[in-house]
Amino acid sequence: MDFLDVFSVSASGLTAQRVRLQAVASNMANARSTRTEDGQGPYQRKLTVFQSESLNFDDELGAAMERVHVTDVVASQEPATLVYDPGHPDADEDGYVAYPNVNILEEMVDMMTTSRMYEANTNVVRTTRQLADTALSIGR
Amino acid sequence: MPIDPILPRIQAPTVDFNADDRRVGFGNEFAAKMDAALSNVSERLNVADVRLARVASGEEADIHGTMIALQEADISLRMMVSVRDEAVEAYEKIMNMQV
Repeated sequence: MDFLDVFSVSASGLTAQRVRLQAVASNMANARSTRTEDGQGPYQRKLTVFQSESLNFDDELGAAMERVHVTDVVASQEPATLVYDPGHPDADEDGYVAYPNVNILEEMVDMMTTSRMYEANTNVVRTTRQLADTALSIGR
Repeated sequence: MPIDPILPRIQAPTVDFNADDRRVGFGNEFAAKMDAALSNVSERLNVADVRLARVASGEEADIHGTMIALQEADISLRMMVSVRDEAVEAYEKIMNMQV
């Protein structure tokens, strides 16, 4: 496990958070989309699934370190929000419009969590770099 | 008390410089390692260079991946330079030795 492996692990964390932010952006943008391209009801909130995976190091200590991998972006199975709005073109026969199962407040919280986690991973990279700098300054 | 003769120990290393396998001799082993490290650093620099160009031209948007590649190249290069400095310093010390 050397400095560059830490970079590799942190890079995977940064990528994972970026994908999550993309999902949040998609959810935010489509918070009021009542139809999808394939005509199957309203937009469904997108969720990211992260999975840890071993780096396959030769040594035992290194094998315990795992990077994160975005395995899937799935649609939330929460039911759509029904709002009574008979004038809407997507209203059903009872006058209810199915709005996406996106809660803007939840998305905001998700966005802030994502942002903080991205920063945390960046700090790991920065600290690793500082440690490498310190190690290199031994010889000076 | 018998005293061990000192002379056989300080005899010249038995490396046949005319043999074909002289490249695996003591000095060349270090040179080979430096060579391998240098090509490794060079490769990292190239990777960072290519990714930087791709980000600059808008082909790639993986900013953190590129920054990390740059850091890797930077640390590798400075590590390499440190090793070289140490080697050169050792060489100079030997060259300045009063015989």
